Amino acid sequence: MTAGNLLAGGALGLLLSLTSSPRAPRAWLGTVLAGSLLGLTAAVSVLVTGEAWEWRSTFAIGGESVHLRLDGVSALFLALLAVGGAVSAAYAHEYWPDRAHPVSAPRGRGWWSGLLLSMGLVLLSSNGLHFLIAWELFALCGYFLITLEGRRRAVRAAGWLYLAASHAGTLALFAFFALLAERTGSWELGPRPDEAGLAPLFWLALFGFGIKAGLFPLHIWLPSAHANAPSHVSAILSGVAIKLGIYGLVRFSGWLPTPVGAGEVVVGLGLASAVLGVAFALGQHDLKRLLAYHSVENIGIILIGLGLALIAAARGHATWGALTLAGALLHVWNHGLFKSLLFLGAGSVLHATGTREMSRLGGLWRTMPWTASLFALGAVAISGLPPLNGFVSEWLVYLGMFGAVNQPATVTAAVPAIILLAMTGALALACFVKVCGVVFLGAARSPEAAGAHECTVGMRVPMGVLAAACVAIGLAPALFWPAVHTAVTAWRGTWANVPAPVSLAQLGWVHTALVVAAVGAAAGLGWRARRGGWRRAVTWDCGYAAPTARMQYTAGSFAGILTEWFAWALRPERHVQRPTATFPPHARFEEHTPETVLERGIAPCARGVLRLAAVVRRLQHGRTHAYILYLLIGLAAVAVMALAWGGVGP
Amino acid sequence: MNQGLNLLVGLAMGLNLVALGTGRLPSLIRLAAWQGVVLGLMPLVIEAEWRVMTFVVATATVVMKGLVIPALLRRAMRTANIDRDLDPLIGYLPSLLLGAAGMIGAVAVAQRMPLLPEHHESLLVAGALASVFSGLLLLLGRAKAISQVCGYLILENGIYLFGLLLIHSTPLLVEGGILLDLTVAVFVIGIIVDRIQRAFDTLDTRKLTVLRE
Repeated sequence: MTAGNLLAGGALGLLLSLTSSPRAPRAWLGTVLAGSLLGLTAAVSVLVTGEAWEWRSTFAIGGESVHLRLDGVSALFLALLAVGGAVSAAYAHEYWPDRAHPVSAPRGRGWWSGLLLSMGLVLLSSNGLHFLIAWELFALCGYFLITLEGRRRAVRAAGWLYLAASHAGTLALFAFFALLAERTGSWELGPRPDEAGLAPLFWLALFGFGIKAGLFPLHIWLPSAHANAPSHVSAILSGVAIKLGIYGLVRFSGWLPTPVGAGEVVVGLGLASAVLGVAFALGQHDLKRLLAYHSVENIGIILIGLGLALIAAARGHATWGALTLAGALLHVWNHGLFKSLLFLGAGSVLHATGTREMSRLGGLWRTMPWTASLFALGAVAISGLPPLNGFVSEWLVYLGMFGAVNQPATVTAAVPAIILLAMTGALALACFVKVCGVVFLGAARSPEAAGAHECTVGMRVPMGVLAAACVAIGLAPALFWPAVHTAVTAWRGTWANVPAPVSLAQLGWVHTALVVAAVGAAAGLGWRARRGGWRRAVTWDCGYAAPTARMQYTAGSFAGILTEWFAWALRPERHVQRPTATFPPHARFEEHTPETVLERGIAPCARGVLRLAAVVRRLQHGRTHAYILYLLIGLAAVAVMALAWGGVGP
Repeated sequence: MNQGLNLLVGLAMGLNLVALGTGRLPSLIRLAAWQGVVLGLMPLVIEAEWRVMTFVVATATVVMKGLVIPALLRRAMRTANIDRDLDPLIGYLPSLLLGAAGMIGAVAVAQRMPLLPEHHESLLVAGALASVFSGLLLLLGRAKAISQVCGYLILENGIYLFGLLLIHSTPLLVEGGILLDLTVAVFVIGIIVDRIQRAFDTLDTRKLTVLRE
């Protein structure tokens, strides 16, 4: 079976799922799974063999013949799309069932199939016009999935913001593809490394794809959309959809020449996204909003890798450039896997307790052991700790950065990048200690949390699959190197000869040893505990005679010191009512971190535009006479212009 | 080039000023009709030798501008049963002064325009510009819908004067196009006037601002 047949089968499966979505949830799930599996197989076959697949139609759509291409770069993202789409669909089957959501569940299934199809088309399209069509379809499907629960005002607002931001990005992409087509003379996309005139277009692509990827400060739509969408939608948005922005950047920075300084700018944006993303995450009290800000952080890590690779490509340094790019691309997979896992875990928590507020959760470890363990595994992975996949990709980026520093002509951008990336990792760890501690440990802070129940097997299995993938990449990174290497080769053909770093295989062995040791230690502890007998006690006792759940650290207080460091960027809003007098009657402290870029930067600008527009609207008052006066003035102006600038003449 | 033509154009420009100064709707309609007749005579004066086509154009213009359109307007005025006063937004004296200033400006602009040598001596362009300006001024300065139609007619007459410059090359095309356009416009406005009157019980366009969105 060739990749083409597999892809056609996958598309057919998704189309069938589209038709079966309204009435037959089981058939829908089956066809989505089958279609995704076929797509995954096609992607893997391309990644393993390294042979790109191309197909050109004899018919035309919109005056252009359809040109599909699956090479290393698109296959890497297609594999992630297939895994993320299938796993989250399986989760949605139980999480968003017909009996609980009779209207939105069938609708959601339809849009889901549409989303997978359009994202696949984005990845395969090799024609600017069709790319734009697929891109727009994908954005629209995303909008309808985010607003599945459209009755809530917050959901509608989030959906609107997503749509507006997405279209701002699409506008830049329209300009990008139109200018590209104008300068090259055709809508066909493909490698054009020697046409230096195309380099400035990179900035348009950076803006357009950057909005979708959610890099700082273009991430404004991301937190509210991820927080308010149903959790399986958040998972695919964060795991796969925003990666298409990265795909666009990788794709076109590989195919087209890049302007001078592009790599440095991308590294700078990546560092800002990584550090500020995790800083904002620390300030959040909403579980899903917090995870959304971690997407910004991880996009930042990916961009650091990509930016350094751009610098390496500009200087002709293959060895370390290939490593940073490989790290970035592997992080695309890894983030897709563990962020989907975390969002699905958050979905289970939301499903069980009905709240995303961390200050109302707590002590879920006892009632939801599966969810808690799987979430904790995802947390370890996202914090970049060994022995899981997050460490592997960050390790590759670090290796590349060390290589960049050890050059005879040191790459200056790499030095702050190393320091800030390390800081990001530490902050991410702090943030996930906060999440796991507040949500799963301690005592329940509300009756809802106390009455939580474990999620069903149908929801646990998809999470388990993602967790297994995280473990697999962590334990055997060398197995996944060839796939990433194919993508790197597709990005820069001259980097094909860069070998796998020796330490990658060693890392796998170290990780395996770590896991064996940890499992052994756990088994030993369990055995001892069983022999000694279990004894349950109150957590957070702290010597108090009658501790209550309210005495625990809250999400805000846990991260208080760290958020204080970043107060200059976060601008938290505080409402304090200090205790006065000897027997204070009432005291209160509230802290809330807003989406600062949106509320302090973009919203005031938008209000200014609206005020200006209101002034202009006064010209439209309905008095015909004045309209004729406008005409007269306009005519006179044209006449004056024509006479004064000599537009008229024999 | 031709004293007879310049006389007629001057007459039309004078009628512009009278139209700006008049305060009664019937006399405004009559003035527009007279201007139409004057314009209709112009092709006969322009042409050195008379051809059939010239006669056709002249007759059609006189009949449409001088008879049919004014009759339509009078009928609209009667059926709508409106007050004969014009109800100016810009007073009659300021209108006159503006109109005169516009006329002077039109002559000045026409002299600066790069025209063909045979049009240098003619007042056609100046008259056209002055009529367009007067028509716009009437549209601007009069509140009633029918008086605005008259302003539109005078504006159209200005365009007709421009068209006369081309009468040698494309006579029927220019005139036919303009006349058809005008007739349709007057029909439409006639219908709208009737509707406005029925719906709002007034023809004062100042009161129609609620329709802006």
